[in-house]
Amino acid sequence: MAPEELDGLASKLEVRFSADFTSRWSDLEFEELALHAFNVQFQHNPVYRRFCEGRNAVPTSVTSWQQVPMVPTTAFRYLDLVTGDHSSVRMVFRTSGTTSTTLSPGRHLVSRPSLYHASLLSNFREHLLPDAEKIKFISLIPSPAEMPHSSLSYMVGVAADTMSSEVQWFVDGEGVLNSAGLINTLNDAALAGEEVLLLGTAFAFVHWLDELAGRELRRLPPGSRIMETGGFKARARDITKEQLYKSLSMTVGLETNRIVNEYGMTELLSQLYESHLTQPNELQEGHAPPPWLRVRALNPTTLEPVAENETGILAFFDLANLGSVCHVLTEDIGQVIDGRIHLEGRFPGAEPRGCSRAMDELMTSSQVTRR
Amino acid sequence: MTQDIFEAWAIPSSVVVPGATSDSAVAPELSIRSLSIESRWLNELTDILVEGSGRLKNRKARELARILGTVGSRFLKEGDPLRTKALELLPQASGLSVQMARVVLDGMAADWAEDRLLGLLENEFGTSEGLDGFVKQNGCRTMAIGADLCVQIVSGSVPGVGVTALIRSLLTKAPTLLKPGRGDVVLPVLFMQALAVVDQDLADHVAVLYWSGGSSDLERRVLDRASVVTTYGGDESVESIRALTPVTKRFVAYHHRISVGVIGSQALTSGLVEQTARDVAYATAVFDQRGCVSPRSIYVESGGDTTPQAFAEYLASALESIENDLPGGHLELEEAAALHQVRGAAELLAVSGSPGGIYHGEKASWTVIFDPDSELRSDHVGRVVRVESIENLSDLIKRLRPEKEHIQSVGVAGMGTDLDEFAEELGRIGVSRIAKFSGLPFPPPRWHHDGGSPLRDLVHWVDLEEVGG
Repeated sequence: MAPEELDGLASKLEVRFSADFTSRWSDLEFEELALHAFNVQFQHNPVYRRFCEGRNAVPTSVTSWQQVPMVPTTAFRYLDLVTGDHSSVRMVFRTSGTTSTTLSPGRHLVSRPSLYHASLLSNFREHLLPDAEKIKFISLIPSPAEMPHSSLSYMVGVAADTMSSEVQWFVDGEGVLNSAGLINTLNDAALAGEEVLLLGTAFAFVHWLDELAGRELRRLPPGSRIMETGGFKARARDITKEQLYKSLSMTVGLETNRIVNEYGMTELLSQLYESHLTQPNELQEGHAPPPWLRVRALNPTTLEPVAENETGILAFFDLANLGSVCHVLTEDIGQVIDGRIHLEGRFPGAEPRGCSRAMDELMTSSQVTRR
Repeated sequence: MTQDIFEAWAIPSSVVVPGATSDSAVAPELSIRSLSIESRWLNELTDILVEGSGRLKNRKARELARILGTVGSRFLKEGDPLRTKALELLPQASGLSVQMARVVLDGMAADWAEDRLLGLLENEFGTSEGLDGFVKQNGCRTMAIGADLCVQIVSGSVPGVGVTALIRSLLTKAPTLLKPGRGDVVLPVLFMQALAVVDQDLADHVAVLYWSGGSSDLERRVLDRASVVTTYGGDESVESIRALTPVTKRFVAYHHRISVGVIGSQALTSGLVEQTARDVAYATAVFDQRGCVSPRSIYVESGGDTTPQAFAEYLASALESIENDLPGGHLELEEAAALHQVRGAAELLAVSGSPGGIYHGEKASWTVIFDPDSELRSDHVGRVVRVESIENLSDLIKRLRPEKEHIQSVGVAGMGTDLDEFAEELGRIGVSRIAKFSGLPFPPPRWHHDGGSPLRDLVHWVDLEEVGG
């Protein structure tokens, strides 16, 4: 297969990601693209190819995307799983690793920023701005200039470039929160009746709310919204998602259904969101994947799919990962019901990971040095 | 499916059991019922324990060893209802396989017998009389005094640790409040039930209570009342208990520890290598690598008759065959997820041109990762063991150094005659025990647990100098 085929598929996917969000892709359609992607990755990712050969899974024998060998997220810590030429790598995103000093951080090398942009933009719009062309971004996530290797900062930056009327960053690269500036900006927006999108990690919000110590701000216009990401075992104190949302909603005067949780990791270039804003009248629990990503919950012993009401290990086939490996086995656990994930691992008691964790560590250390 | 319920508490007979309880499932067929603890009730309970301290101090240490030993050895007697009950509950409560639960109970309870406890007293104090009154020591008269209240917060990774902890503080005549870990509630509660039958008075000096970790209000309350606190667990949980403990309390920390193994060329000869591999496999298998004594990495000397990679293969086949006699236990979903991660990553590394390799038992958790360049860092779940190659001793010390604060025991085989020098080197980086692999899982009762003294760390001494008439 010629390397042009990789470019050809990337361009095709880019067009599909940008164009088509509302209709769920048919199984057949997804299958065809997924097998094509596997074929390309098998040809142009030599380490992955040998891994697949070791499992007797080669393009001629693999007949469905479910049979495509899965790479564990941990592998990103040890290997650059690039499909295609290394010289084409344009961006490097790093995971934070974990608190354990024995674990090295992972990284995801991205060759085609435009494919990544297409995936993140339409998904972001669908779940956070389905009803507005542009909105003011108020971010507790550091800017991409401050944290160039964070995929979370990058995502917010790219989204802001096209969907914000204005963007303001209130956490710097050292993890220090400009609390006074944040409060002033929110109060100004409230007074002016300007709708905003407030973005942050769970930890950043907890940290901020602790500083506020129960103080309530002016009510934001009801069309405002919040994107929250990350786990709930904050270093400062444990808090449940419900407690955080309630407290956040009291503070800025928004209904809790205006808060959307984003689920993402450095190893996956697509994100999953709760869909309160997209389908405000249907109460749908869980996180929705974009049409180009399929998720399964797997039996811990056999790695076969579990029944819909059973909990398993989550595995993702993400076509946005064309430049690395699409089929990824995570450490997260949950249920998949009607294609949506209901996370169990990341919520109360779970360790936050990936980008959110990096922010947490940053803010924790800044907290220490400031005191 | 029917759910058995295990009531996870033992309290002095004079304390009224509060009405409210809560259940939490630890296995498909077993739930742990714990008391809903209110602060006033907890205050009353600790008052009663502290007030009873004087009575307990009047008893003789040898007599306590005898009674505790009588109860402890019942766990070893085939057919004893106490042992039967323990073996019935342990697999579900701790996730160990039925066969492994038996090995673990035998290994732990061996140290609870009277002769072992008397040996422990003698080893720690020279004579147990030093706990009963003043004895001459170094030209002075001195006496060891146990706590008014010893609070012990124990992790649940290895069943039996809670009972061992309880016995230790009772031997120092300290009323004890034990909070066992979630996976270790069964044995201390059964132990206390049996103790109450033979010596209600002694049992009245003990409370075993389980609550889910992180209830800092409850923890602060009991820590305030204690005079000695021991904590077993991961670094973060020990740290959080330490932060809650007032400075005036003696704090004994058993933080996160792991063990490793070293194999010299003398154990790698064609005649010995299979037995060596079997011994390492046993040490790896016993606690499914959950114990602080479990060897996570095996360092194999290169240049012997068997290469480190070939040893990894011997170890894999030994782990495969031990799976029949001593099957691996149940993995939680998160643990299974972590196991797939480490296996997949090792497999990818192996095909990426790294010199490593991986051998595993598919559905069984045993996994041997040959990682000569020490590339793969992973959390350990189930029977995962790494094999690395080393050139010599200084190479070993260099590799151990990054983790030295967490290394407890070193299993050894085929080290030759310069063992003293080697052991001293290891001691200098913080290792506290060097043992053969077959003995690695179960240290003797007198061992210097994490380098400390199991009983002396729990007492204070009072010296009575010559003061004249």
